[in-house]
Amino acid sequence: MSTKVNINRLATGVPGLDAVLGGGLPEYSFNLIAGPPGSGKTTLAHQMMFALASAARPALYFTVLGEPPLKMLRYQQQFEFFDSELINHSIRFVNLSDDAMAGDLDQVLQRIIDEVAEHNPALVFVDSFRSAVFANETEAGPHRSLQHFVQQLGILMTSWQATTFLIGEYFTETAANPVFTVADGLIWLRQSVQRNSMVRKLEIMKMRGQATLPGLHTFRIGTAGIQVFAPAGKAATADARPMAPPEGARLKMGVPGLDDMLGGGLPRGYSMLVAGPSGSGKSILAAAFLAEGARCGETGVVAAFEQHPNRSRNRTLIDLIESGRLGLVDSRASDLSIDEILLQILNEVHRLKASRVVIDSLSCFELALAPTFRDDFRESLLRLVTALAGQGITVLMTSELEDRYIDLRFSPYGAAFLTDAIIVQRYIEVDSRLLRVLAVVKVRASAHSNQLREYSIDAEGIRIGAMLPDQEGLLGGRPTRKRADDRAVATPDASAG
Amino acid sequence: MPVETEEGRRFATALAHRVGDDPTAAHIAAAMVAIWHDIDAALTPIVGKGGVAALYKRTLYLAGTAHPWLVVRRQDLSSGVDLVALKAVLSQQASAVAAAGSKDFLQTFHMLLASLIGPSLTERLLRSVWARPPSGPPAQDPSP
Repeated sequence: MSTKVNINRLATGVPGLDAVLGGGLPEYSFNLIAGPPGSGKTTLAHQMMFALASAARPALYFTVLGEPPLKMLRYQQQFEFFDSELINHSIRFVNLSDDAMAGDLDQVLQRIIDEVAEHNPALVFVDSFRSAVFANETEAGPHRSLQHFVQQLGILMTSWQATTFLIGEYFTETAANPVFTVADGLIWLRQSVQRNSMVRKLEIMKMRGQATLPGLHTFRIGTAGIQVFAPAGKAATADARPMAPPEGARLKMGVPGLDDMLGGGLPRGYSMLVAGPSGSGKSILAAAFLAEGARCGETGVVAAFEQHPNRSRNRTLIDLIESGRLGLVDSRASDLSIDEILLQILNEVHRLKASRVVIDSLSCFELALAPTFRDDFRESLLRLVTALAGQGITVLMTSELEDRYIDLRFSPYGAAFLTDAIIVQRYIEVDSRLLRVLAVVKVRASAHSNQLREYSIDAEGIRIGAMLPDQEGLLGGRPTRKRADDRAVATPDASAG
Repeated sequence: MPVETEEGRRFATALAHRVGDDPTAAHIAAAMVAIWHDIDAALTPIVGKGGVAALYKRTLYLAGTAHPWLVVRRQDLSSGVDLVALKAVLSQQASAVAAAGSKDFLQTFHMLLASLIGPSLTERLLRSVWARPPSGPPAQDPSP
C-alpha cells in the first residue's frame, strides 16, 4: 500500500480546462489567476466556484479591490452557471474594500482569517489584487508587503484545507514577482488583438504536482461561460470511435472511375487533398465523397467556411444534412482558432459517429481563422489532420490552386506533404475549349494510376473520361497535338491516322 | 410612485409587522430604522459600506420626487447612511404621510436593487430581512 499523499483533483466545471490543467485542479492548492483587465479572470473564478461549491464544500468569495460587488453580481449573473440560490448558502461573498482602501494588508489578512474561521470554507477566492495599489505603502517596498501577505495567506489556506484563488491584475510577467514563487498554480489569461479580431488565450504557467499541457490555449466566453479549447487530440475521447469501415478498408469516392485511379478507393484514415483552380469541381468531388459515404451507410461531417453558404451549397449535401446523415460545421466568425474548429468538428464526428470529414476549403478556412493564427496555419493543419486520422477518420480537404502553368503546386500551404493522397485538377485549352483534366498525384503506400484524364461536370456530377494521348504539354495549359511522326514512333499501328 | 411587486409588498408587510398596532409616526420611524439595520446587515458584508450608502442615497433621491420631505439635506458624497436624520424626518410627519413615504422608500429600494442585480438575487440577499420575526429588537448581524 502506498503511503504517499494522494492529491485529489477537482473538476473545474470549465469545459476543456481540466484537460489543460492535466486532470483537474489539485485540492488545497494556492492559485493565482492573472491577466489584464477584461481578460476573464473574475468569470473564470465564478465559473469554477459555482461548479465546485456545495454544502459540503462551501466557498468564500472576498471582493477586495476591483469591480464593485454590485456590478460583479450584475454581470456575472448573465452567465448560465450563476445560481442565485447558492448565494448565502454554499457561496458567500465578503466585501473587504473598506479594509483594503486603508492600505493595511495586515487588516485585510485578519478579516480573511476571521471569515475563514467562521465559515470554514473549502474554496477561497480573493478578487482582486493589484500590486500597484500597495506601492509605497511600506518602507520595505510594495513587493515585500504583498509577498508577506500572500505568503501568510498561502500558509493559512493550505493548513485550513482550502483551495484558494488569488485574482490579480496588472502583474507583469517579466517582473520577478515573489507572488509567483509562493503560488502552486499560475493561470494566466491573455488577449491577443490583431487587426479587428480579438482572441482570448490561457496559459498554465505553473501547476505544482502535475503535468499540464504547455503553451497558449484559446478560449471563448459565451453565455455558458468560459470554454477552453484544449489542443487537438488531447480533448478527443476514446469512447466515441466512429462507425468507420474496418482498418485497411478503402473508401469509395462516389465518382465513377476515380476509385480505380486511386488503386481501389481511398484507404481508411487517409487524408486527401483535392487541389484545383476555381470552378474545377473540387466541392462537387467532395460532395460526391460524402454522398457515397451516406450511400454506404456511413455518416460524415462537412466543415464549410464559405461566405455565402446558401448560395453555393450543393443540393445533395442539403438533403444529407436535413436527413441527419451529415453534420455541418459552418462557422463564419472571423476570429476562430484551429483548436476551436477542431473541437466543433470532433463534436459533430462524435455526435454522428462519422467516418468521413470534408474541409471545404482550406483557403476559406485560413480566412476564417483569426489573423494571429495564420502564421501557424501549417502546424495547426498538421495537428488537425493528425487528430482526425488518429480517430480513424478519412479526411478530404479542398484547396484553391492558382492555375499557374509554369509550375505544379498542389497547395499554397505546403499542405501537400501533410496529406496521404492528392488529386490535382487543371484547366487546359484544346480546340478553343476549356477542358478539365485530373490526375492522382499521390496515394501513400499504394499503387495508383498515373493517368492524366479529361473529365466533365454535368447534372450527375463528375464524369471521368479518357486520356488525351494525342495531346502533349497538358500541364502547361496549352497542349499541342502531337506530330504525326511522333505518334508513329509511339504507336506504330496508328500511323495511318 | 413605484409599481408594487410581490417582494415590494413583502417590505410593506414587514414594515406593518414591525410598526405593530399603533402606527404613529414615531413607531414607523423606529421600524424603518430597524428594517434598514437588517438590510444593512444583509448587504454590507457583500457590497461594502460604500455600496450600501450609494443605494440608500439613490433610493432617497428616487423616493424624494414623490415625498420631497424625505430629502432633508443635500446628500454629500462622503457621508454614509444617516439613520438619525431619517428617523427624525419620519417622526415629524403625520402618521399617514410617514407610512406612505416609508412604504414607497422600501419599494423603491427594492426596485433599485432588483434593477441592478435582478429580482431573484435580490430576493435571495434580502430573504433574512423579511424572514425576521416581527417582534423583538432589531438585530445587527446577518444570520449565519
